[in-house]
Amino acid sequence: MGPLIPNELIPYEWNNIIALLIGIAFGYILEASGFSSSRKLAGVFYGYDFVVLKVFFTAAIVSIIGLLYMDYLGYVDIGQLYIHPTYLWGAIIGGIIMGAGFVAGGFCPGTSLCGVAIGKIDAMVYVVGIMIGVFIFSELYTFFEPIYNGYFQGNITLMDSLGVSPFWFILFFTIFGVVAFAASDLVRKRVKKVFY
Amino acid sequence: MKKFDNTKQNRHIYWNPYFGGLLLGLLIIFTFYITGRGLGASGAMKSSVVAIVDTVTPKHAENNAYYSKFINDDKSPLNTWLVLEALGVLVGAFLSGALTGRIKLKVQHSPKITKKRRLIFALIGGILFGLGAQIARGCTSGAALSGAAVLSTGGFITMITIFGGGYLFAYFFRKNWI
Amino acid sequence: MINRKLAKFLSLQYVVLALILILAAAGLLLLPKYVKHEGIDTKELLSNTFSNERYISTDELANNIVNQDPSFILIDVRDSISFKKNSLPNAINIPLKKILNEEASAYLDQDQFDVVLYSNTNFYADQAWMLCNRLGYKNLRVLKGGINEWFHTIINPTKPTENMPATAFELYSFRKAASMYFGVAYLDAIPKKVVKKVVRKKVKTVKKKKKKKPEGGC
Repeated sequence: MGPLIPNELIPYEWNNIIALLIGIAFGYILEASGFSSSRKLAGVFYGYDFVVLKVFFTAAIVSIIGLLYMDYLGYVDIGQLYIHPTYLWGAIIGGIIMGAGFVAGGFCPGTSLCGVAIGKIDAMVYVVGIMIGVFIFSELYTFFEPIYNGYFQGNITLMDSLGVSPFWFILFFTIFGVVAFAASDLVRKRVKKVFY
Repeated sequence: MKKFDNTKQNRHIYWNPYFGGLLLGLLIIFTFYITGRGLGASGAMKSSVVAIVDTVTPKHAENNAYYSKFINDDKSPLNTWLVLEALGVLVGAFLSGALTGRIKLKVQHSPKITKKRRLIFALIGGILFGLGAQIARGCTSGAALSGAAVLSTGGFITMITIFGGGYLFAYFFRKNWI
Repeated sequence: MINRKLAKFLSLQYVVLALILILAAAGLLLLPKYVKHEGIDTKELLSNTFSNERYISTDELANNIVNQDPSFILIDVRDSISFKKNSLPNAINIPLKKILNEEASAYLDQDQFDVVLYSNTNFYADQAWMLCNRLGYKNLRVLKGGINEWFHTIINPTKPTENMPATAFELYSFRKAASMYFGVAYLDAIPKKVVKKVVRKKVKTVKKKKKKKPEGGC
């Protein structure tokens, strides 16, 4: 019954080794999907390359469906998994700022690490930028604290806040994703080609 | 003719995005199954900043309400799961890049802009992302992707707002990309 | 021409893949639902209910206490007022109302000690037993008859009459000895100095094996 390390089915000492292995797989997948190229990533916002949307939504759909099946079959207890806490306005404001950063710099933290690994100087500058951003946040923590700690709603899931069955939600989310994939291909044909 | 070659390259270098997405989804399931937590990336950078500040001015780091959360007497701020995972990301990306011959020290930018402009905007983007990731307690991988996998409301909000924010500001940065 | 055929084939593939995804999602919807509950299932609960292990007699308990057996903890599930009035030595008070609290589970949900539950009679202790069993806690016992039975048998044992078998006398003398241990004075025992034994309060540290909570993402 998973998760294995919190239930001590795998000794805790393995945690760090597993972190490294998972990281390697994560980096490999991201790089091989083309996430080390900022121009490819930014394409999603201008309609010339939707690889971010495709990879991201496929991963989200596969992981949600997979986790629910595993929960149903008793391999993993979904109640024991870490659920990202909901700080309503923190998530909204932070998300919009991140969106601006994404389109300005063309990376997100995970992908910038991939860029660094294959020698992209812009990715290295981006990582330095992120660290400066964290530094600014920490120095001005008292200023940001009301947003950071406020509007806390607990570690809630969509079922709690929308009151829908997770299964219906996933069905709609999957259909939405498939429609988005099809639409993205249509849009891509109309947008003038950008070569990079 | 050269352009044609480029498109060909574009198509064949990388994995099929759906294949990449499938593997990424399976990796997220695997991560949750083993460790009970999701993936992350910006946490490693936060830890690095904490570690740097802690070595330069330990007093200041202790007095600051934010740094002090991550400082432990018995272990370095860099000794966390996320930092190791980030190291793994570097190794994994390097492997993938090496196997396909993509490793090259360069600044990638649209031919319409200069190197300098690209680097400046990368820095600005990084600062914004770093700031936003702290406010929202996670980045695209930690909050949006791993959050969405367990149907966390916060994760979904972050996911929607990151992409929404991207489209919102896309117009102002269009010269950099197209 | 070949390219176009290939494209068509590929797009067909994508349609199939999309269908598989949607079917997988719909499959979740069609799965027969069952209510997942924590702890043990009903059959196991039933067999636990009839287990010999369920009750512990007052004599057994008295014996354990006198011998300072360290392997069990006593839990008083009555409210704190009655607990203050009278209770068994070294008992821990967890009123039935608070049995599901976090602090309570530290004592109840562990496998180092036997947990002996008691109340005035069996009644509340049995309910506590049932609740805890349902949560999957291990090594739970109920003091048969509760404090009342304890009082009747140990503190104030009835003298057996002449026509009773020898075992009854043995039991009586054991009980008498035990009650003296707990501080009851007897007339025939008075010539000896009444040594009121102070029952040494043993502070038991219950170490609960806490499951590690998974930590956050970014």
